[in-house]
Amino acid sequence: MKFEWIKILYAVWALLIILNIGLVFQGVTQKIAARLGRRYGIRWYQPYIDLMKNYAMRSSITHGVMFYLGPVFRLSGGIGMFLFMPVIFDSPYFQNFSFSGDLILISYFMFFGTLGMALGAGEGGHPYSAIGITRGLSQMTAAEVPQILAIISVAVQYQTISITNIVAAQQGGIMNWTVMTNPFATAAALLALLGSMMRPPFDVVLAPQEIPIGPPTEFHSNFLAVLQTNRAIFPMAKMVLFVNIFFGGATNWPLMIAKMFLLYMWPIFIGVAFPRFRVDQSIRWFIKIPAVIGIIAVLLVR
Amino acid sequence: MITPIYIIILSLGTAFLTAILSKKSEKLPFVMVFTAIMSITAISAYWAFRFIAFKDGSMIESTAGFSAPLSIALKVGIEESFALLVINLTALLGMPHVFKLIKENGKYSAITYLLYFMALNGIVMTRDLFNYFVFIEISSIAVAGMLLFQKSGKLLKAGFSWLVATGIISIFLILGAITAYVKTGVLDIDTIVLMNSSGLGTGSIAAFFLFIALIFELKPFPANRWAVDIYKSAPAGITAAISGAGMTASLFALYKFLPVLGPSWNSAVAVTGLLTFVMSNLLAIKTENTNKMLGLSSIAQGGLATAVIGLGNILGTDTFFIAGTIVAVHAVSKTGLFWLNGIAGFEKTKEWGKLKGNPFVIFLLGLFIFSLLGLPPFPTFFAKWMLIEQLAGTSNWLWMALILIGSLLEAVYLIRWFGYSVKMESDTQKEIKFKELALLFVSVAILFIISIDIPFAVGHMPLLKTVSIPLIFATSFFILDFLPAKIKNILLISGLGYYFYHLYPVLFEFRAVFLIVFLIGGMILLLAGFDKSGKRVGFYPSSALMYAGLAGLLTANTTMEFFFWWELMTLGSYFLILRGKKSMAHALSYMTFSLGGAYSMLAGFGLISAANNGNLELATLSTAGAYQSVIFILLVIGFLTKTAAAPLHIWLPGAHSEAESDVSPVVSAVLLKAGVFGLIVTMLAMGPQSFKGVNIYYVLGWLGVITALLGNMMAAFEEDAKRLLAYSSVGQLGGVVFALSMMNHLGWLTATAFALNHFVFKALLFLAIGGVVMRVKTRNMYEMGGLITRMPISFLSVMIGIIALSGVPPLTGFGGKWLSYNAMIDSQMYFQGAVASFAGLVAFLYCFRLIFAIFLGQLKDNHRHVKEAPFWMLVPQFALLGLVMFFSVVPGVALKPIGEFLVKYFPENPLVWDGYLAKSYLGYWDGKMIMYVTMGIFSVVFAWLFFINRKAVKVKQFNIVYAAERPSRPELTHFAYNFFAPYRKALGFLVTPLATAFWNGVSEGFHSTATFTSKIFKGNSQSYAIHILLYAVISFIITFGGVQ
Repeated sequence: MKFEWIKILYAVWALLIILNIGLVFQGVTQKIAARLGRRYGIRWYQPYIDLMKNYAMRSSITHGVMFYLGPVFRLSGGIGMFLFMPVIFDSPYFQNFSFSGDLILISYFMFFGTLGMALGAGEGGHPYSAIGITRGLSQMTAAEVPQILAIISVAVQYQTISITNIVAAQQGGIMNWTVMTNPFATAAALLALLGSMMRPPFDVVLAPQEIPIGPPTEFHSNFLAVLQTNRAIFPMAKMVLFVNIFFGGATNWPLMIAKMFLLYMWPIFIGVAFPRFRVDQSIRWFIKIPAVIGIIAVLLVR
Repeated sequence: MITPIYIIILSLGTAFLTAILSKKSEKLPFVMVFTAIMSITAISAYWAFRFIAFKDGSMIESTAGFSAPLSIALKVGIEESFALLVINLTALLGMPHVFKLIKENGKYSAITYLLYFMALNGIVMTRDLFNYFVFIEISSIAVAGMLLFQKSGKLLKAGFSWLVATGIISIFLILGAITAYVKTGVLDIDTIVLMNSSGLGTGSIAAFFLFIALIFELKPFPANRWAVDIYKSAPAGITAAISGAGMTASLFALYKFLPVLGPSWNSAVAVTGLLTFVMSNLLAIKTENTNKMLGLSSIAQGGLATAVIGLGNILGTDTFFIAGTIVAVHAVSKTGLFWLNGIAGFEKTKEWGKLKGNPFVIFLLGLFIFSLLGLPPFPTFFAKWMLIEQLAGTSNWLWMALILIGSLLEAVYLIRWFGYSVKMESDTQKEIKFKELALLFVSVAILFIISIDIPFAVGHMPLLKTVSIPLIFATSFFILDFLPAKIKNILLISGLGYYFYHLYPVLFEFRAVFLIVFLIGGMILLLAGFDKSGKRVGFYPSSALMYAGLAGLLTANTTMEFFFWWELMTLGSYFLILRGKKSMAHALSYMTFSLGGAYSMLAGFGLISAANNGNLELATLSTAGAYQSVIFILLVIGFLTKTAAAPLHIWLPGAHSEAESDVSPVVSAVLLKAGVFGLIVTMLAMGPQSFKGVNIYYVLGWLGVITALLGNMMAAFEEDAKRLLAYSSVGQLGGVVFALSMMNHLGWLTATAFALNHFVFKALLFLAIGGVVMRVKTRNMYEMGGLITRMPISFLSVMIGIIALSGVPPLTGFGGKWLSYNAMIDSQMYFQGAVASFAGLVAFLYCFRLIFAIFLGQLKDNHRHVKEAPFWMLVPQFALLGLVMFFSVVPGVALKPIGEFLVKYFPENPLVWDGYLAKSYLGYWDGKMIMYVTMGIFSVVFAWLFFINRKAVKVKQFNIVYAAERPSRPELTHFAYNFFAPYRKALGFLVTPLATAFWNGVSEGFHSTATFTSKIFKGNSQSYAIHILLYAVISFIITFGGVQ
């Protein structure tokens, strides 16, 4: 595909859209979670304020070069993952850089951010960061098992691993969506999604409301702001990916936002309702039922 | 013409004269005996020369004026002259070793020594049964004399048992001669055979007596304890004589008399020989006494030669060559070992560690040991090859398997001994002067002459021509070892470079790819050697041998050539691995597994040549005949041993981690690819295979992914940095095996991509970690930490290495992963692919652990002043970093040409290239664009953070959020031990060391059988006598059972 410089502009535009979507979703879901817990909840635009506050902080310290690079890797990973994906089907403006690679690229690019973040947190020298990283990595590798099986199943089903083609195959009505034609793969992938969203029951990695632990332990002010920016972009990118692969994609932004929101509610509701797993429990859990569902998904498409 | 009778005359005359004249001086006996033996040796050399150069016919000397059968005939032909030369040279070279003996014990020791050899000459030359009996008696009495004339009485028991045993043997022999005379009326061999071409035949009691006497002379198991006792207690000069010369004569006698017994006795001879070979080697594994071990080894080799002679009807005209080579090399090397042991003077094998500082001793020891084991370039290699080939050709599977198992057992204890001498810790050191060893170098010269002549005589000249140049280059490093290390390094690198330049135009397809990996990779990794000062004795010959083997694999046209280079490569790499500080046991394990795999390969090659009527071309792999699935399995087992697929992987973690800092990259990144190359050659030639209805490639696929998963998991749980990388190699190569087993275009492209990537990043990682270990002096990761500030370049190498390993875009590992997904979907191996992907994810765990525990976290107090890795360790890292970046941006440079020649073999669903974009029928991938986009995003974000954070203050080490506590010491604040405890808790059951337990059990089984057997057959002279009689009775029952 011929590379046109205008694509960069469109990509930035898509990025800005997704950033705002992410921040708004964060606020709204916190409100919903609070209401479910019989509290009033924060303002829906609170994440914007938090972000601006962190960026505005004047003092900051650094532990070294890698510490500096940690959030850079993380945000690059999030942005990169988003930019390698086609967002809106059939739109000439929102294909991003998806001509560089297909679904496999997206799957592996997720790890770019993880790895970089791990390196950055490690340089901080805080043992709790390291513990958080080991938990995170262990959980991630286990959570990816049903995800891989789901991807294989979908790829075999549609005989392609290009996201554009997968979305194209799902056009023509709700009965063509992957969730209808390959429910097991969708189920496996959605269960894997729970693991990668780092919400309860799989949030021991960050262990919020307890001791401060996890990779972001040492990050503050601008570094934390960059990480928060990524926290807005990265889950949204994942939502876009899932909508494209399993829920028929979208031909315009409002439809995409609606689908993303509904899909986003899945980990939120589960998270609100369930307590936390230990790491070894979550590893074993993923290798059991979700993996079996994934295996069934593959068996059904052979 | 000098007739045989002169030898007898000379010996007897000198003996009598010595007895009379020795009252005059002390040195006279030695001088006279020495002169006599020298003359006899000259005579046998003259005969040999005439037979070889002038092709004279054999001569028969008839004594007493009449011709046989009325008189005793002595014959000397080409075969006899060969045997005589071996015997008499042993006598001559052994004389200095008996000098002390003769000086202490007087003229009778000298006389008995001379008479012993006279008797051996007689045994070889005589054609008469009774005359043979006479010479046997003389030889036994001479040995008894040598032992019993000792001023010390400790050999009394052994000497007495010897007399008892040989007495019984002589009784059997004379009974045989008598009954043969009764049956045929003559005592002459040739006449008997003339009368009845099938000899005395089955059911003949005369034949049985002769058979049992001939066999007992070779000390068969289990009635050989008396001989073992002699070997254990007698001085080196005597044991060498018995082992080298005595056994040669007995074997020749067996060979000579077999036609008298008749062809129906061949199988009995072969069975006794094989039993002796296997069981004596088994017993030798358990012995700690060097003399006893060498004795058992001699008996075992005798058994092997006996088996070869017994298999004469199968081996045909090759019998003399095979048996003769074994005997000749054994005579030279085993006597050399006995003499060396005599000079060293140690009782226990483990004490040989005291000789660590003597390079000449090590060299001699290694030379003799490896010539006995049948490794190239020694002639026993060719002998073993021919033996296995012929056995395969006649479908004698059990024989083949038993001989190979016996050889493996022999290899174990001999190589273990070598390991002790190079690496065993000992408090004291012994020095042996060169002049004591000087005479042994004559043996080396003889070995050298044999090594060149024998293949020449049998027509393997074309092989010699092709092997000569790389082999000579490699072995010249042995002579040049006195040069400084840096000069040798330059020599070796230039040699590799020149050979690459020479070979690159003529090698195509896969061979070109592997040539780059082997030779260019070798050159890059050798750069690290410039860091070492001094001479680095032993490193360069070993490396040169290994690289010669690797390059030779690619140029091989025949299976024998391939196997020649394979064994040479194994030998070189064994020496290299042995150089590590604590690698004694690991190098032995490596060599055992490698030889086991190599023997499996040998069996496969033998079967192939059998199916193709002796045609050895590599192309014959495609026409492997009816047993092709078995051959395929045998070959694949051999190659999988090299690539360390489970369960054949247990040698790798120890061997690779204990090796030196610049050896680990070579053996892990370069050497393992030899196995991959072997697999490629085999799979391309043999195609789809199924065994009893099971598709072997399917099994291979699962084997590969299970290896990948287990290797990666075990790496994640390791505390030792180099062991982690070693297990990682196991895992990565499991992935390669899986990719190869897919047998489609994308799969093989994946395998090649994996292999090339693995070479680059594993070399990078091992070099970087090696540099770190050199500086911090420990391999445990929890003792390191925070080294990013002290060793930033090593950190960069490791970071790029692990990003490439884990397959994260934009670096080169992603290409391999992308290809593997396409390949697995194309080949419909979904579940194996899923397991392989999971294994790849587990790789993240150990990648992170490696970099975090070493470079991030907290810097320890004792490391605050460590320097960066040595410059010359960094140079190859820079080169490899450049390669990583290059292949990340333009992966097509390697993948496009490989894809083009893969289309020939796997035309369906290829990878298509559109500029920099790679397209398969499933998806697409553009390495260059990915790199640009990623770098673009990264730079923008980085620049932005840099700008907004420009006033950040750098803080000191313990300035962290610690929730009301105070971090005190780095050791308490660096989380690195048992890093993945929850993972271990959840999935640790997957890494229970089943394979290790299995192989330990196998080894234990062999050891306990040996101990048990050894205990049963211990005893004194009476029990030995009973052993012999029982053996005779049982043989009688077995050979005669069921016959009238």
